[in-house]
Amino acid sequence: MKTEISRRRFLQGTVALTVVGATAAATALANAELGKEGKKSKIVDFGLTKTQYSDKLQEIPTLCEMCVNKCAAIARIEDGVLTKLNPNPLFPKSRNMLCARGNAGIQALEDPDRLKYPLIRVGERGEGKFKRVTWDEAFEYVKEKMVTIIDEEKDNRSTIGYCAGEGMAEHTYTSFMGDKIGSSNYVNHGSICLATTIAGYTLTLGGYGQADLENAEYVIMAGANRAEAIVTPDTMDMFKRTKGRGSKLIVIDPRFTNTAAHADKWLPIEVGTDLAFVLALTYTVITEERYNKRFAEENLSDFEDYKKHILDHNYTPEWAEAITGIKADDIRQVARDFMAHAPRAIYYQGRRTAWSLQDYQLRRAQAIFSAMGGGVDKKGGIIFGKKLPLGDHSINGPMYDNAQERIEKDKAASIGASGSWIAWRNTIIDGSAPYPVRAFFAYKQNPMMSIPNTAKTKQMLEKMDLVVVIDTMPSDTVMMADVVLPESLYLEREDPVKSFGGAEPSIALRKKVVEAKFDTKPVIEIMRGLGMKLSKPLFEVSKKYDEALQEEIADRGEKEVYDEDGYDLADGYRHSQESINHHMVESVYGEDAWKTLREKGVFYPDMDKFFKKLSVNEYEYYPEHKKSYSIIKGDLNNEPYHDTCVDINEIAVLKKKFRTATKKIACALYNLEKKKGVDAMPTWRDELYTPTPEGRFKFITGRHGQFTQSGTANNALLLELLPENYLWINKRVAKEKGIAFADLVEVKSSVGTIQIKAYPTEKIGPNAVFFIHGFGADSSELTLAHHRGANDNTIIEDHYEKTFGSAAMHETIVDIRRV
Amino acid sequence: MARYGMALDYKSCINCKACESACKEENGILLGADNHRIWVGVNEIEGLFPDLSIGSSNFQPSQCQQCDNAPCQSVCPTNATYYDDNGVVRVNPDQCILCTYCMQACPYDARYIDDRTVTVDKCNFCSDTRLIHGETTTACQATCPTKVRIFGDLDDPESEISQTLRDREHYSLKAHLGTKPKLFYLT
Amino acid sequence: MDLSKLVPFNKHTVRSFFDFERSALNIFMFWFSMGLVGMMLAGIGIYLIEGHHAYGVTRQHAWGLLIAMYVFFVVSSTGLCIMSSLGHVFNIKAFQIVGKRAIIGAIITILTGFAVIAFEIGHPVRMVIYNVLTPGLTSAIWWMGTLYGLYLFFIILEFFFLNNANHKFSKIFGLAGLVVGLAAHSNLGAVFGFLVARPIANGVFFPLYFILSAMVTGSYLLFLIYGWRYKMKFPPEVKGFMVTLSQVLGLLLAILMFFEVWRALTAIYGHMPERGDIAIHMITSKNFLIGEFLLGMLIPFIIIVWSKGRAIKAMVYASITGMIGIFFMRYDLVHDTQLAPMMPLKIREYSLPPGLVEYIPTATEWMISLGAIGLAFMMYYAADRFFNLDHDPEESH
Ligand SMILES: Nc1nc2c(c(=O)[nH]1)N[C@H]1C(S)=C(S)[C@@H](COP(=O)(O)OP(=O)(O)OC[C@H]3O[C@@H](n4cnc5c(=O)[nH]c(N)nc54)[C@H](O)[C@@H]3O)O[C@H]1N2
Ligand SMILES: Nc1nc2c(c(=O)[nH]1)N[C@H]1C(S)=C(S)[C@@H](COP(=O)(O)OP(=O)(O)OC[C@H]3O[C@@H](n4cnc5c(=O)[nH]c(N)nc54)[C@H](O)[C@@H]3O)O[C@H]1N2
Ligand code: SF4
Ligand code: SF4
Ligand code: SF4
Ligand code: SF4
Ligand code: SF4
Ligand SMILES: [Mo]
Repeated sequence: MKTEISRRRFLQGTVALTVVGATAAATALANAELGKEGKKSKIVDFGLTKTQYSDKLQEIPTLCEMCVNKCAAIARIEDGVLTKLNPNPLFPKSRNMLCARGNAGIQALEDPDRLKYPLIRVGERGEGKFKRVTWDEAFEYVKEKMVTIIDEEKDNRSTIGYCAGEGMAEHTYTSFMGDKIGSSNYVNHGSICLATTIAGYTLTLGGYGQADLENAEYVIMAGANRAEAIVTPDTMDMFKRTKGRGSKLIVIDPRFTNTAAHADKWLPIEVGTDLAFVLALTYTVITEERYNKRFAEENLSDFEDYKKHILDHNYTPEWAEAITGIKADDIRQVARDFMAHAPRAIYYQGRRTAWSLQDYQLRRAQAIFSAMGGGVDKKGGIIFGKKLPLGDHSINGPMYDNAQERIEKDKAASIGASGSWIAWRNTIIDGSAPYPVRAFFAYKQNPMMSIPNTAKTKQMLEKMDLVVVIDTMPSDTVMMADVVLPESLYLEREDPVKSFGGAEPSIALRKKVVEAKFDTKPVIEIMRGLGMKLSKPLFEVSKKYDEALQEEIADRGEKEVYDEDGYDLADGYRHSQESINHHMVESVYGEDAWKTLREKGVFYPDMDKFFKKLSVNEYEYYPEHKKSYSIIKGDLNNEPYHDTCVDINEIAVLKKKFRTATKKIACALYNLEKKKGVDAMPTWRDELYTPTPEGRFKFITGRHGQFTQSGTANNALLLELLPENYLWINKRVAKEKGIAFADLVEVKSSVGTIQIKAYPTEKIGPNAVFFIHGFGADSSELTLAHHRGANDNTIIEDHYEKTFGSAAMHETIVDIRRV
Repeated sequence: MARYGMALDYKSCINCKACESACKEENGILLGADNHRIWVGVNEIEGLFPDLSIGSSNFQPSQCQQCDNAPCQSVCPTNATYYDDNGVVRVNPDQCILCTYCMQACPYDARYIDDRTVTVDKCNFCSDTRLIHGETTTACQATCPTKVRIFGDLDDPESEISQTLRDREHYSLKAHLGTKPKLFYLT
Repeated sequence: MDLSKLVPFNKHTVRSFFDFERSALNIFMFWFSMGLVGMMLAGIGIYLIEGHHAYGVTRQHAWGLLIAMYVFFVVSSTGLCIMSSLGHVFNIKAFQIVGKRAIIGAIITILTGFAVIAFEIGHPVRMVIYNVLTPGLTSAIWWMGTLYGLYLFFIILEFFFLNNANHKFSKIFGLAGLVVGLAAHSNLGAVFGFLVARPIANGVFFPLYFILSAMVTGSYLLFLIYGWRYKMKFPPEVKGFMVTLSQVLGLLLAILMFFEVWRALTAIYGHMPERGDIAIHMITSKNFLIGEFLLGMLIPFIIIVWSKGRAIKAMVYASITGMIGIFFMRYDLVHDTQLAPMMPLKIREYSLPPGLVEYIPTATEWMISLGAIGLAFMMYYAADRFFNLDHDPEESH
């Protein structure tokens, strides 16, 4: 091809510019939008991206960490510069794709606002004034404070609170904070994300499982927006088969989402009433005897009780219509269609299920309803799949006698190891804690933006004697820190190797693709450094207060106790991540597997035999008969059985042993009721429902396909696709209020007020409003994200449900007016 | 030499804009609202809440149609716009005088001005970033989560795109204008 | 060699060059023209720094005020050329006095047009090179550009021979200029008419309409040129010419209005998308009703009809409104062609669905475009100083 010259020559000569241009353009955009106050953003001249292959081309497999999915990527490196991230087809979970955010990883790497070196606060907390320090100075600062605090708290290690966002190295950090430092006060994304659905499905089915959307024929997605809230492989599997191409999709969502655009039926529901909907579905299939009787009889425990419970409460479609706003006939139709397609029918589990006060029971009801069709542990239903084991890397954690239980453990029926963010925070600020939490560590989480009621999060952080934040960006939480420890970006580090379960299990590796640009470290090295600094001084504190330790020392001698009982806090973090990974893979699968993994980024047994490219767009990871759809063993029962509604060939004839207490799918959980007062069976409770008063609105929150919560809000490439969030408000209601497109409106709740531009649309009903979560950062160090759009958690009230302490983010009533 | 075309299984599109970001990164497109080689169009949904017409809001991923009879090419006064050996409609920035006549002539709004070369730019099927290196597909195809695009040689009857176009119904945008697009929408 | 032998011209010192009668009007026109040129230079300065970002043009509306102004000037040029050729090419008696003044006007307006387009085309020098090296023979712009270049060459020669009173050659080049000018000009119409993507412009209308409206423009300009030359005190032979001109203009306007009516009817009839809707939008817009129709056609037409062509002083004033109307015609032509979005779907989530494409010229565009009028004035003044532009009755035959 001879015609390649011109553009190439140009691009070769000039290099890049995407990145540089990006900032300039987006800055211009920011300034234009911010109008009068639009202060000149700093334009930093930073890395260049070339668009032309150089001779020194490398392709390094890695994993994306722009969101929780961890898609497999191949980084194209030219002369040491990352020039493109491409999808890695070998990974079954990500099915050869990178989403918009995945592609924008380069911009994250090149973001001029990144944290570049350790910082110590110099101004008032929250003022955002820091000085650059060395790692040692930062660690030293942390040590001084920690020793004082732990000494004053008499070795109650739980006085150090800590949180973490989801990530591949989360465990490296939590093991250090929890096992090594010894604090029980840990909070993570569970209680603001998926705690209720994990708990609901696990207690009911024995596991959360995976929806086999590749094979399902009928899917109800209620408040799960897979077209925009991308979850792999669900998103890819679902939308290749919608629109009459193999799978029926029913979307239940107060908003018309991009997922609804793929639906066969979209049923807008009153916010917070899904439980009534599912109960009515259940009522319908019970009264019409349409469920999979054989499966129910063999695999559901207390099913007769449940049927009686549903019938006694008279959860009729008409009853539900009055609550949910969904027509009784639609409810009946969905119930019938679902069962007609069962067991290849799924009531999708959902993911961010931190909505309302009845979330947990809702997820239980969904799980039982799904199970009534037989689609559990069955192709086309909810499957559990397999996970490839990895060798272990153990951490030797000391025992601290004086470390106390979590402060908020009584604030809900069952608070797990990762706590209830809201209850925990509120316990600290309302003074009801049994002992003070005086230091706070945040890793890869941005509670200033992620937890409902930002004002209270700020208040909590202000109460701390020490705030340490490990992040990559100057987030709002970083602005509240005393010590900022910058982590290297995911592209600059190797993270713990991870095994991904499912019908097509595999192991994948995040490899470093470029050297760290700045004075940053991966978290394992941060833990190592902290460990080395803290071990001895903290050990001295323990020696003072910990009687059990004193006895041990008396018995075995100080050196031995220190060395063997894990008081050396850096042990377990001394090896390089690479050598740890090597051990974890090699010890189970051998050296060749390790080589494959490093070279290809993905490994599973027989990958070389199984993996096939079928067409431009299709890959086969496992032959059909090698996929792990049904994994739970049970007795095969062959007697003929008459069933009214389900295709005889599809009847789930296995009598299975589920991983629940009863080994069956649990319709009733009487134990939990007895001990904790939690309803044994899903029951609609009027008192837990917040109606929306006339003329006011219920606020709901959620995702956008081009952003990851608050973490990508400063990404120039993504901001170009969507420069800011807008308030969805019903078009006719907006008109009545004199609100036109892009008018500035004020949204006010009992805890806060924000201003945002309006997006009047018929895609939302008259009594709900919505805007995308993650915008409106307050940190002025985020040049592009700063005050762009609005932060929803400023106005979301801090309700949490009382089973697991999970946030109830959709219980806030707001008022809207034009400004 | 080939005659490249693209078939779009547009019903799978979820409007995630991975294709747009991938194109920008791959081809070094400057940021800025008007600067895009590729886009996803959405119709404003019809109906009033709650009775919305689901079918009225399809997502329509699109880019330069690589017209076989390209109006942008015939109006170009200096032949800066040309068909390359693969039938791809390209712009030679050394020859482009930026009269923007092609932007008037393109019925699909597929062209924009690149601020670095100060010439017109458009989708070139990643010819200078991928095809020239022997890669067989485009950045937008590779990255798509729901695998909307099939890229290939229309002159090769065995190619997947040729087979797909034989087997499946499809249409082209503004076909009545006689531009003979090489982008095909599968129905 | 004495240049003035080759091209007779008046010699000037700087002082004598600026030695014009200090009437209020003259002084006003002097500063007005200087002001305009200053504005143009400032506009060009901004353009050189900021490039096309100094303009209000966008991806969807890539052609703006400068293109409209370019069209305005080149149509003026063709118009003057056609009207002057009526006299010395076609020997129509009444028009024989217009010769030189009209041709110099044609040269000046086309040069001004080129000056404007030089700041719209991104790479004018490259254009000259590749127009020759790799000609796009299917491109209306190529033909238009090339033919206009040739046209300019011919009318310069025509002026040269007129000035030297070489009637044979002036006639030959006059004819050549006219033919090439007509070809160039209808090609300018074809630049729009060939746009298959844009049903509102596509078709035979523009190539024809351009010739017709050029003649109208030429007529208005002749009124203005002569009104200015004689400061409204017309000698009898000029008076006679101007009455004839009025009558011709009346006819041209009638035909133009007839054209416009049919154009509108055919465009609207059947409500074809991107044509019917645009046409309705067009003819109901203020630009059209007040600018094009009222100022550009109706006022002059009424004066002509009402006075049977005799109100020539009124016609000089009406020609000012006429030229304003012509400006609107050019602007609307460019703008309306681009009204229908080629991408009719929303491509950004929080935006209104695409409606008609909007365009607002920036200050820079106004500065260059309006400033160019000053440039034309200055050139005319200079030409008037250097050459004897009046018709010498002795020389006519
Ligand atoms: N692009 C992108 N993808 C992501 C993420 C991201 O940030 N960006 N984050 C990832 C993470 S951490 C998670 S947890 C998942 C979240 O995945 P999802 O849970 O699917 O995402 P959300 O947008 O939080 O979903 C909430 C949806 O529920 C609707 N909704 C609100 N109230 C109700 C109600 O009462 N009833 C019903 N039926 N619907 C309701 C909202 O309108 C919204 O569409 O996404 C993951 N994927
Ligand atoms: N109102 C409202 N609140 C919500 C939600 C909602 O929909 N609406 N969604 C909830 C859900 S589902 C979730 S999962 C949570 C998520 O809440 P968070 O876990 O707080 O996630 P992000 O908001 O993405 O913030 C991630 C932080 O980690 C930083 N970071 C990114 N990569 C790295 C890295 O490699 N290393 C380190 N050290 N830091 C990194 C980012 O800069 C950012 O500051 O938010 C919850 N909160
Ligand atoms: S879904 Fe997108 S952002 Fe998340 S891991 Fe995959 S490519 Fe990265
Ligand atoms: S990447 Fe694919 S699914 Fe996403 S917007 Fe583009 S075409 Fe649609
Ligand atoms: S702008 Fe460039 S490519 Fe387009 S027609 Fe003019 S010269 Fe040709
Ligand atoms: S779509 Fe437009 S730019 Fe592409 S070949 Fe056709 S006319 Fe040219
Ligand atoms: S084919 Fe290449 S250049 Fe064209 S839109 Fe796709 S990624 Fe961009
Ligand atoms: Mo989440």
